[in-house]
Amino acid sequence: MTDVLIVGAGLTGLFASLLVAERGNAVTLVAQGRGGLELSHGCIDIWGRATPSRALSQLRKSHPYRLAGTAALHAALEFFEEITQQAEYPFPGSISRNLHLPTALGAIHPTALAPQSLAQGDLFDGTPFTLAGIDNLLDFYPQLAASNLRRAGIAVQSVLELPIPMDDTHHDFYTSDLAHFFDKPNWREEVARVWKPQLIGIKRLGLPAVLGLRDPQHVLEDLQERLGLTLFEIPTLPPSLPGLRLEVILRRRALNTGVHFIEGPRVVGRIDGGSDGRRVSGVVLQTVGGPRVYTADVVILATGGILNGGLVFQQDGRVQESVFDLPVNYDQGRGYWTTTSPIDSQPYSGYGLLVNDLMQPLDDKGAPIFENLYVAGGLLGGADRTMEGSRQGIDLATAYRAVEVALG
Amino acid sequence: MNPPLFTTDLCLKCNICTAACPVAAVTDLFPGPKFVGPQAERYRHPRLPMPDVSVDWCSGCGTCSRVCPHGVAVAEINILAKERLAKERHTPLRDRLIAHPELLGRIASPIAPVANTSIHLRPARWLLEKTIGISRRAPIPTFTRIPLRKRFHDRCLDTPLDIKHDLGHTVAFFHGCSSNYYEPELGEQTIAILEQLGYEVVIPPQICCGLPLQSNGLFDAARRHAQANITWLAPFAKQGIPIVGTSTSCTLMLKYDYRTILGIRGEDVETIATSTYDFFEFLTGFMKDEIKRIKFNSLHARALYHPPCKLRNHGIGAPALSILRRIPELQLHLSESECCGAGGTYGMKLEKFPVAYEVGQSLFNQIRQLELDFVICDSETCRWWIAKHTGLPVYHPLEIMARAMDIQCNLLP
Repeated sequence: MTDVLIVGAGLTGLFASLLVAERGNAVTLVAQGRGGLELSHGCIDIWGRATPSRALSQLRKSHPYRLAGTAALHAALEFFEEITQQAEYPFPGSISRNLHLPTALGAIHPTALAPQSLAQGDLFDGTPFTLAGIDNLLDFYPQLAASNLRRAGIAVQSVLELPIPMDDTHHDFYTSDLAHFFDKPNWREEVARVWKPQLIGIKRLGLPAVLGLRDPQHVLEDLQERLGLTLFEIPTLPPSLPGLRLEVILRRRALNTGVHFIEGPRVVGRIDGGSDGRRVSGVVLQTVGGPRVYTADVVILATGGILNGGLVFQQDGRVQESVFDLPVNYDQGRGYWTTTSPIDSQPYSGYGLLVNDLMQPLDDKGAPIFENLYVAGGLLGGADRTMEGSRQGIDLATAYRAVEVALG
Repeated sequence: MNPPLFTTDLCLKCNICTAACPVAAVTDLFPGPKFVGPQAERYRHPRLPMPDVSVDWCSGCGTCSRVCPHGVAVAEINILAKERLAKERHTPLRDRLIAHPELLGRIASPIAPVANTSIHLRPARWLLEKTIGISRRAPIPTFTRIPLRKRFHDRCLDTPLDIKHDLGHTVAFFHGCSSNYYEPELGEQTIAILEQLGYEVVIPPQICCGLPLQSNGLFDAARRHAQANITWLAPFAKQGIPIVGTSTSCTLMLKYDYRTILGIRGEDVETIATSTYDFFEFLTGFMKDEIKRIKFNSLHARALYHPPCKLRNHGIGAPALSILRRIPELQLHLSESECCGAGGTYGMKLEKFPVAYEVGQSLFNQIRQLELDFVICDSETCRWWIAKHTGLPVYHPLEIMARAMDIQCNLLP
C-alpha cells in the first residue's frame, strides 16, 4: 500500500485521489479551501476548436495532452463516466463530436461532455427554445444572452422572466439558494403550478442552472414532467451549480473510498528525503495551531494555475510555484505576459511547470527534480486552456497519467 | 497571522462560502457569510450603529473560513460583528446563563440528582422556554455528582515543576467543562488510553475555555477566562509538555481564537497554541508506531462518524478516522453533512432552534436511513444534539477506541 499525499482539491486533485484510493492505497488530500470546480461550468472541455480526437495527435510534444498520452485521456474519461453514471448524474457527449452550449452571456461554448441538464441545451439540436430568467436572481439576464445568441445567428424563440412562488423574501437569491429550494418536491410542485400557464407553446426552455444540488437528475426529470417540456440549464456566475454538483459527487465518493481530507491549511514546506535528497518524504502544513508534518511515499501537486493559486504572479515580474517554489517556465518581465488585445491568446496562459512524460517536474537542465513528486492539471505549462477549450480534459488525462506512474 | 478585518480585501466575491454555509442553505433570514462578512463589513462604521443585524443568524460553525480558497477570515469577521451587535443590544439573561457552563456545573454538581431531575422535567423546560427563551426541544446535559477533577485529584497539578518523570512522556490534559462536570467518564477513558500507551497524564488548573462567552458576544468575560488559562497552561507548554484535549472547540480556542478573535498577544499564548493538540491529532502524530501495534478487538456494529465543524476547523482533517477504520467489524459510514446544526449554544435559543434543527435535517435523515447502532462525533454539544434528535446513542471516538482496547473505567473513588 502506497501512502499518497495530494495537494489541491479541484477536479484534478479529487479525480487523482479517487484513482489512488480505488486501487487500495492511502490518500491524504490537502487543500486550502475549496475552489476550481465551484467556479467552473461543470462540463468537460477536451478540445474546443475542432474535432477533439483528431486535433490531439497534432499537438506539440510539450503539450500536456502529448505528455500524458491519448491512452491516459481515454482511460480517464472512462473512469469519469463510471463515476458520474454511478452518481446518477450522467454526462452525455463524446470525444469525437462537441456539444455547443449557450453561456450566460450568450456566447457559444463547445464542450465534449456535459451533464444532461446542460447537454439538452445544444444549440444545433434543431428544437426551438426560449430563455427565461428567474425573479430575485440577479446573476442571469436572459435578454442579454438571447441578443448575443441572435447576433451569432442562433434563433431564440422568446425571452421570459419567471416568478418564484414566494411572497416575502428577505434578500435577493444566489443560485445556491434556489438550488436548495428546487431540491424540495413541494417547491417544484408550486413552481410548476405558477410557471405552466406562461409556458404554453414552448418545447424547450433554458433556465439559469439552479435545478437542485443533491439529486439534480431527479429534479430535472421531475420538473420536465410537471411542465411538459424539455428543460436545459445555463451555468451562471459562482456559485456555479453544475461545478458544485460535480464537486459534491467527487467529494462524496472520495470520502466513502477512504480519502482523508485535510481542509484549510496551506502547505508551507517540504521534507526532503532519500540518500541524495531527491525524494520528497513529506510536507509541512500550517494548521491553525502551528506547523504539522505529514509524511508520504508519493506527493502529487494539483494546485492549479494562476486562477487557482498554484502559480503566483509577483509584482516584480517573477512567476512562482506557490507550494514548493519549483521552477516555472515563463517570460521574464511583466511586459511579455499579455498581448495588447484582451481577446487574443495570452502568453501567461501557457506558463507553468515543465514535466516529462512521467509527470515529474523538471529542473532547468531538463532532469526530474524529485523521484516521487508528480504534477497534474492547471499547474502544467505548455497549453493555453482558455483558447484551446482543453481545461478539464488536461486535468483528467494528466491526473490519470500521474497516478498511473506514481503507483507503478 | 492576519487580523481578521484586514482580510476583507482578499475577498473575490466568489460565493464559495455562501454555497457551503449550512445556515444559508435552510433559511433566507441569513443572507450568507460573504454578505454579512467581507461585504457588510465595509458598511460598519466604528462609531455608528450596525446598519444590518442579519449576522446574528450566523451559527458560528466556521465552515466559511475553512472553504475560502483565498484566505478571507469570514467566520472571524462575523463573530467580531456579532460581538458589536451584542454590545449595542442588551445581552439577554438567557445568553449570559448558557454562556457559563462551568459556573452552572459548579453550582449544580453538588446537588446533581436534584438539579438533573428538576431541569429535565417538562414543566421546568416549559418554564425555561417561556421565561428566558431556552428551547424546550434543545438538549440540556446532565450534571455529574463527582467532577473529573475530584475523581483524579492526585493528577491535578498547579505547576509542572513537581514532575519527576520523563518529560517526553508527560501530557497535560485540558478536559474542559464537559469532561469535568457533564461527562467525566470521557475524561476517565482519555486518561486510561494515554496511560495505557505509556504516558503520564497531569491535569493543570483550568477554567472554561471561554467559547460560550465569546459566541454570545461577551468578549470581556471570555478574555478573563483566556487570561486565566494562559497563566495556568503556559508553564506546561513552555516545558514542552503537550496540552491534549478531547473537546474540539476548547482546543480550537487555545490554538486559534485566543489570538485571532480575542486578540491576545504574547509569547505565552503563542507557545500554548503550538503545544495544543486534539486527542486524535496527538495519537496519530506522536504515537504512530504504538498505535499501529495495538490490536483492536472486534466491535460488531453499524456506526456513522460525523466530524464536527470545530474539529474540521483545526485544519487537521479527521484524525480519529484512521483509528476507527482499524477496528474489526465496525461498519463505518461517513457523514455527508457539513454541520449538525447545534452550533454550541445557538440551537438552545428559542428563536434559533428551528433554523438549527433544519440545518441538522440532512444529517438526521442520513442517520435514520442507515439503521445504525450508534453515531460517533468528537464534540459534546453536537453529540447531545444528535442524540436528542435521532434517539441514538452518540459517542466520542475515543469511547469507541477504549471499547476496542478493552479499557475498563471504574475509577470512581
